Amino acid sequence: MAWTRRLRNLFGRERLERQIDDELAFHIAERADELATEGLSEAEARRQALIQFGSYTRRKEDIREIDLLSRLDAVVGDVRFGLRTLLGSPAFTATAVLSLVLGIGANAAIFSIINALMLRSLPLADPAALVEVQSKEIGYEFTNPIWEQMRDHQPALSGVLAWSADRFDLAQGGEGRFARGMWVSGDFFRVLGVPALHGRVFTPQEDRRGTPPVAVIGYSFWQRNFPKDANVVGKTVRLNGHVFEVVGVTPPWFTGLDVDTSFDVAIPIACEPILHTDRSMLDMRSAWWLRMLGRLPPGRSLQQAEAQLRSYAPALLRATVPVEFPISDQQDFLKAAFRLSPAATGFSDVRDRYKTALFALMAIAALVLLITCANVANLLLARASVRHRELAVRLALGASRMRVVFQLLTESLLLSLAGTAAGLLLALLGSRVLVRLISTRGNPLAIDLSPDANLLAFSAGTAILTAILFGLAPAFLATRGDLNQSLKEHARGHVAGAARFHLGKALVAGQIALSLVLLIAAGLFLGTLRNLLTTDLGFNRHGVLLVAAQFEEKAVAKERRVGLADEVVTRLRAIPAVVSASSSLRTPITDFGWNQLVEPEGYRPTSRMDTLVWLNRVSPGYFSTMDSPLRLGRDFAEADSLTAPKVMIIGEGAARHFFGSADPLGKTIAMDGFPGSAKKDVYQVVGVVKDSKYQLVDESQRLTAFVASGQDSDPRARVNFEIRSAGPLAPLAQAVRSAIVSTSPHVSLEFRDLETQVNESVMQPRVVALLSSVFGLLALVLAGVGLYGVTAYGVARRRNEIGIRIALGAQRWSVIWLALRDVGMLLTVGIVVGLGGSLALGRLIRSLLYGVRADDPRQLAAAATILAACGFVAAYAPARRAAGQDPLTSLREE
Amino acid sequence: MSGKQKNDILQGTLALLVLRTLKTQGALHGYALTNHIRRISSDLLRVEEGSLYPALHRMEQDGLVRSKWGLTEKGRKARMYSLTAAGERQLAEETKSWARLTQGVALVLENS
Repeated sequence: MAWTRRLRNLFGRERLERQIDDELAFHIAERADELATEGLSEAEARRQALIQFGSYTRRKEDIREIDLLSRLDAVVGDVRFGLRTLLGSPAFTATAVLSLVLGIGANAAIFSIINALMLRSLPLADPAALVEVQSKEIGYEFTNPIWEQMRDHQPALSGVLAWSADRFDLAQGGEGRFARGMWVSGDFFRVLGVPALHGRVFTPQEDRRGTPPVAVIGYSFWQRNFPKDANVVGKTVRLNGHVFEVVGVTPPWFTGLDVDTSFDVAIPIACEPILHTDRSMLDMRSAWWLRMLGRLPPGRSLQQAEAQLRSYAPALLRATVPVEFPISDQQDFLKAAFRLSPAATGFSDVRDRYKTALFALMAIAALVLLITCANVANLLLARASVRHRELAVRLALGASRMRVVFQLLTESLLLSLAGTAAGLLLALLGSRVLVRLISTRGNPLAIDLSPDANLLAFSAGTAILTAILFGLAPAFLATRGDLNQSLKEHARGHVAGAARFHLGKALVAGQIALSLVLLIAAGLFLGTLRNLLTTDLGFNRHGVLLVAAQFEEKAVAKERRVGLADEVVTRLRAIPAVVSASSSLRTPITDFGWNQLVEPEGYRPTSRMDTLVWLNRVSPGYFSTMDSPLRLGRDFAEADSLTAPKVMIIGEGAARHFFGSADPLGKTIAMDGFPGSAKKDVYQVVGVVKDSKYQLVDESQRLTAFVASGQDSDPRARVNFEIRSAGPLAPLAQAVRSAIVSTSPHVSLEFRDLETQVNESVMQPRVVALLSSVFGLLALVLAGVGLYGVTAYGVARRRNEIGIRIALGAQRWSVIWLALRDVGMLLTVGIVVGLGGSLALGRLIRSLLYGVRADDPRQLAAAATILAACGFVAAYAPARRAAGQDPLTSLREE
Repeated sequence: MSGKQKNDILQGTLALLVLRTLKTQGALHGYALTNHIRRISSDLLRVEEGSLYPALHRMEQDGLVRSKWGLTEKGRKARMYSLTAAGERQLAEETKSWARLTQGVALVLENS
């Protein structure tokens, strides 16, 4: 084929030149040989041969032009011809490009997020050598003693580092202003290969206990807080009220190990006691907070390194066993094994939480693109019937069929390239909007969505694939058939039009099937969101202001903390609009949790985890503030102090689980005291409260229990306050702030409301529901357009027949019915196929659903009904127009 | 391409001659084609030898001939051209129109 050679020529120019030289040199050599046999000297023969040949250079240029330039011209010609044809029918081109923009844009937007979170490597030297140390038994967060052992003795990796994400308050009292922080080991930056832009990075010196408070700051933090100040080294930042000296700034390309946030400040792990004066975690054998990474030495495989680490593990574990654990837990700990997991793509909370959702959205976007392709293919088919004569003439004039198909495919490629270019712009915008959607005030995301080679490759691939998908079949159909027949054919192209019409119908049926899948998915996700938003949480999320107060550990002594919190609550209750107020260790629907195994009186556990209870420590008035009704017994009271007998309020579920139908009031429940105390605390059940959700809205009900904040022997410096108000919450903040600060000025505050906290926890279902609805709607519109087109084409083809029917006295409705019957068939086929597809795909999204089933017949029926209704509405207009035609006009046209 | 040749008419009919030669002789390289055309036209039709090659390449692009590299008896690498099906059809057509043209010209010359 001419154009395949032409492509090869474009890329094989040198080879082309050589071949021309070889061919011409052969001619001259042969001629010279012949002249030599006539008696000329060798040199003279060659001279004569050259003369007879004529101008060598010019001939060579002529040939090269024919082989190369004229061929390139042909490609350019195809493109120019394609552009001219496309611009010649702007309505067609605009419709096709617009649908492609939406389809490709949706895909590129989702892909660019997947790319940023899952595919792109961290911008470090040799990221593939980066591995994370994990353990199935322990998890991926380790204690500092484990880290120190690993740092000093591990035999497997060429460099190890430890880090932990945290946040530090930059404000000096009052409302908190938080920086994204990292605790890092001294070797952190060196192992990663991150140099300092200004000053220096940390050194192993900073691993020593008692190292002075120093900080390395990130580039954007530097820009924001020390604008253009190159002399930032030596200046200080205040973190949680403590002064740290800035020793260095990292380059702009390093934003930390998290790919969805950007770090502000890094401080040495050895500085931990400066911030945590109550109790340092450095020597705690049960404080799991550090992640460990390392580099594989050149030439050592992950498996080899893992094996080395495994043989070293027992020594490490013996040296760091958490002695405060029960013996059985200690034995489990000693059996732990380490494994290595590639860490080149860094870490991402969003990736972990949104993975399934992102893949589901990617699949949905791909379906939208398929629908788009079907739509554009249909447009091309309709156009082919218009261009039929043009193509037939070109074929008759001697163009090969491949040549014409190639020309048509060039047009398709132009369409898809235009769609991709605009789609990429849409994606740049769309992916940012999407990230903004899942970004919350408490957790602002900074995902690098700038286009890279991956995204460009994805887009180019999509462009070519879609061009082939929507262009190939129409191109072949358009050039099929007997030439003479086509040329003689009626201008409307009725006979050969049949094949195109059938393909068109099949495409529309396919569109309907895909649209149904999307509609059903959208329905399921909307149902999930509705269930999440209306599910009974066990408390009333509306009208509650939450304040997290972090008191300075040193400034507020332990003995004062309980009294201080009570004092704050008293002041809060005095604020006019406040209905009730309380304090607690944690608030519901947050990650932070506290669980323990308990020993309820007279209960025989069926398994070890059977008595795992999720706890909170709350002040009197907590339940009325949260609007969680007490079912039995009493609330905590002032009298429940450190000196009084320990009391507990349990959830209904726990009461039923542990005590069955017996009266739970007065029963005792024992559990371990805080780590280190050998004696078990014994609590008496004084109340039963309505069950409430603990960490997640969609969790199955856990066993819950509450203990009194007045009986806390080891109170933390962090207290949550809940304030229920009858009026709006925002105006309350000022009064609440002064109530707390006037009690103790050594405090950093963080405000939010309970409703937002609950709603942000269902961000993923919300985004999935939103996007799938948008995509579903888009699919519905495209399917409608498809049905409209195929109906309009159908009645146009049968214009004469319909005219005769009307002339013979057919009723209007029977003509409409004639047209709609086809639509009904397409819809039936499409819906049946779509239902089958939905049932098959339903299993894949089960983990994203809550309270709805993928095979719920009501959901399926609702989606099918909506689709069918839209289909008939779309088809009705052309059908009615056909019924309204004047039979004489259409018959006369024949 | 330059038209300042002794036998300009050959430019238009060169393709016809090449097709005809390939039809009767089978696969040939450019040098053999040149010699053959010169020999059977009794040296009447003589062209600048190099001008054959652009014509051959154009005919190949148009799908009338195809080429492949082969070795001659002397062991030299040569590009051998042969006729394609499209070339055969083209030859038939051009032969016909050539006949019509010469007939027409002859009639004009005889009758005017």
